Amino acid sequence: MPSSTSSSDLAAEAEPAAEVRPGFVRLTASDRPGVAQPVPMRDIPPQPWNRIFVGAMLSAALLVAGAELYWRSYGATPSYRNSDGAWAAQRRRIDQGEGGKTVLIGSSRVLFDLQLPVWQKEAGQRPIQLALEGTSALPVLEDLADDPNFTGRLLVGVTPALFFSGRVMRGGVVKYFHREGLTQRTGQWLSSRLLEPFFAFDDPDFALATVVQRQPWPARPGAPSHIDVRKLSVSDADRNTHMWKKVEKDAEYRALARKIWTQTFAPPPPDASAPSPAEMQRIAGEQISRAAAAVTKLRARGAQVIFLRLPSAGPFLEFENRVTPRAQTWDVLLQRTGAPGIHFEDYPQLQGYTLPEWSHLAASEAERLTAALVPIVEAELRRHPVAAP
Amino acid sequence: MVFNSLTFVVFFACVLALHSMPFGWTTKKVNLLVASYLFYAAWNPPFVILLWVSTVLDWYAAQKLVHAEKPSVRHFWMLLSVIANLGMLGYFKYGAFVLANFTALLSSLGVAYHPPAFDVALPVGISFYTFATMSYTLDVYLRRAKPATSFLDYALFVTFFPHLVAGPIMRPTELVPQFAEPRRATPDMLRFGLALMTLGLFQKIVLADSFLARAAEMIYDGDKIPGALDSWVATIAFSGQIFCDFAGYSTTAIGAAMCLGFAMPDNFRFPYAAIGFSDFWRRWHITLSAWLRDYLYIPLGGNRHGAARTYAALMTTMLLGGLWHGASWTFVIWGGLHGLYLAVERLLRSRFAGYRPGPSMLVVLGLMTYTLINVTWVFFRAHTFGKAWIVLGGMFGQNARAAPILPTVHLVMVTMIVGGILLAHWQMRNRTLESAVARVPATVLSGAWALMAFAIVMAQGDGHAFIYFQF
Repeated sequence: MPSSTSSSDLAAEAEPAAEVRPGFVRLTASDRPGVAQPVPMRDIPPQPWNRIFVGAMLSAALLVAGAELYWRSYGATPSYRNSDGAWAAQRRRIDQGEGGKTVLIGSSRVLFDLQLPVWQKEAGQRPIQLALEGTSALPVLEDLADDPNFTGRLLVGVTPALFFSGRVMRGGVVKYFHREGLTQRTGQWLSSRLLEPFFAFDDPDFALATVVQRQPWPARPGAPSHIDVRKLSVSDADRNTHMWKKVEKDAEYRALARKIWTQTFAPPPPDASAPSPAEMQRIAGEQISRAAAAVTKLRARGAQVIFLRLPSAGPFLEFENRVTPRAQTWDVLLQRTGAPGIHFEDYPQLQGYTLPEWSHLAASEAERLTAALVPIVEAELRRHPVAAP
Repeated sequence: MVFNSLTFVVFFACVLALHSMPFGWTTKKVNLLVASYLFYAAWNPPFVILLWVSTVLDWYAAQKLVHAEKPSVRHFWMLLSVIANLGMLGYFKYGAFVLANFTALLSSLGVAYHPPAFDVALPVGISFYTFATMSYTLDVYLRRAKPATSFLDYALFVTFFPHLVAGPIMRPTELVPQFAEPRRATPDMLRFGLALMTLGLFQKIVLADSFLARAAEMIYDGDKIPGALDSWVATIAFSGQIFCDFAGYSTTAIGAAMCLGFAMPDNFRFPYAAIGFSDFWRRWHITLSAWLRDYLYIPLGGNRHGAARTYAALMTTMLLGGLWHGASWTFVIWGGLHGLYLAVERLLRSRFAGYRPGPSMLVVLGLMTYTLINVTWVFFRAHTFGKAWIVLGGMFGQNARAAPILPTVHLVMVTMIVGGILLAHWQMRNRTLESAVARVPATVLSGAWALMAFAIVMAQGDGHAFIYFQF
């Protein structure tokens, strides 16, 4: 057996412990080389721990209550988080017997502008909301195309700057759904029942680090400055989402929301990594090819697919028309996929709505648009039946 | 299940409630065992089988070798345990790495080899519980410890949820005896344990995840070339992040065990106040460095066979210690750098044996140690050597024309938080947390606890996994 109690082994070889660490009240394994380590001793500092504990919990509760009051006075109300877990809970419904239903996918316009209660009233069935803000519909479209449980009707929202560029801010959510573990599901279940319905502060937009980063720090010369998108919406338990009232009512906040979008319209000077127009065209073609392949799979098993271009306005619409002209994108998409599509410019009843920050409808307007849209969708799907598999 | 999740809060409340019920001690231990399996199964239920295999194998091997009369038979059972444990670890953790390097080697020899995809999920915490169970067989083999008399106590030692997935790496002699007699936390143990859990979660959720991680990500995961300031700030941000992440886990684990009436060993001792690298390794991930010392460095000869053998043992230990952290050459380099630092330090100590630095020189040496440790963190954090060289180039003035990347808020927050950590470590370098807490007025403690709890709630962490889970 090796002699292993030498005081000059690896971690203990610097100096004898007693010389370098006077005042230590506890030895650790690093002080006892080559021996069986004894049961650790942990001391409890002599303090009135009951008083400390009660004081801490009461103070923490008061601080949390103060934060809650602050955010409520700011205009926030308790709502459900638009989290990966919430999305996965809705996605799971397709694999749990609701695969024949209408499913909405796309970006934030589908999320904010289509109101599930109104759809339910008009069509007799509440759709499943799977749209993801800042994210092309493609990852979810391909995921559903690969899921034989889905045989229903699929509304695919097309926000040109996202869909044809392949931008996926929340593309990881599909992977999350397929790998979601028991803890994550339980956490989602607990959060959606114990926290989210009751606390307005429980919103990623009000998280401590986000609030700190949002303060008016002096700009660092030469560093890119970009304002992240602020809270724009409020969600229900099944991800039915509408625009946050503050965007409609608070002129300053609305101006900020618009300013954030304008960052997209006037990007920084092109650098070597920015795609050229030809490259952008190639990327758009790639997205369309992927969409066509997914649509073919879906239609082969009798699922109906319809593309949807919801309204945008003002500088946002001008930007989209400039960067992703309809003739080179939307029209090609419909032609290559062979699927029907509804473009708001083609239907008078889908025009003339109020879009406070140019990209999404106000909550009441979203209800009006949904009511107008449902009959159009029904008519289009009737006109383009898919043969049963 | 991660500590920083709502699920764990409910789970732990249930475990505490069960543990305080008037059940018999054996029933309570069974409860803890089942709870620990649930804790582990929450990630991936099939991997519980690996935990069982590791548990049963080492239990059986220890029983066999302790009853064996012939040295060769004892040797056989010890080797069987080591090979089986390292084999399991090797397959799951290093299989893809070995295959990729083998393929690259063949390719360099002109042989085109296309192996099938090696897509095996890494069981969380396998490096930790494998080392824990191996220490059981090895301690029994080395006659440092007697085998456990109760399989339940032994299985609970392996599986006990506070240390299961990310340490501290417990030795059987530290924990098994604690299961022999009924244990229940006193009210003060419970409250101090909860305070430790709050401190640990504050380090993880607020400091590491909310304020330090982003600066490191922007430089290490971005595609822009960083200049000197960005490279240094990102690297010291990572130094703070990994400390708060891992020490936060250890503190939470120690607190959770204390709430149940059990004691777990220190895993960190204010490491950024280290003066020299042997001092650093007595303060950083203590249970791993002590494990490597006892079961690798000393068996390799330690410092008992001349200078050359000592340096070889030192370097081998640190290289393998690096590889333990992850199946990548960047981790090997990280370990190699620490081995080199330790070797140079040893050489200098022998050359200047009579030198005793004054107080100001101690500060200089402490800062030098921290700076050199930051150089090693570059290899630990970077996913590729290419990225590591780019960041190192930035740190040492090679990217002079790089445009600024990090915004002011990150520069300020990282400097404040990591500066605060360094000052706190320096103040605490010869003390324990408990000795400091004992001298603080109760109202200040109450206020600090409340602020940490408030910050945890406001940070709204979304359950980021602890960095060391991947190891």
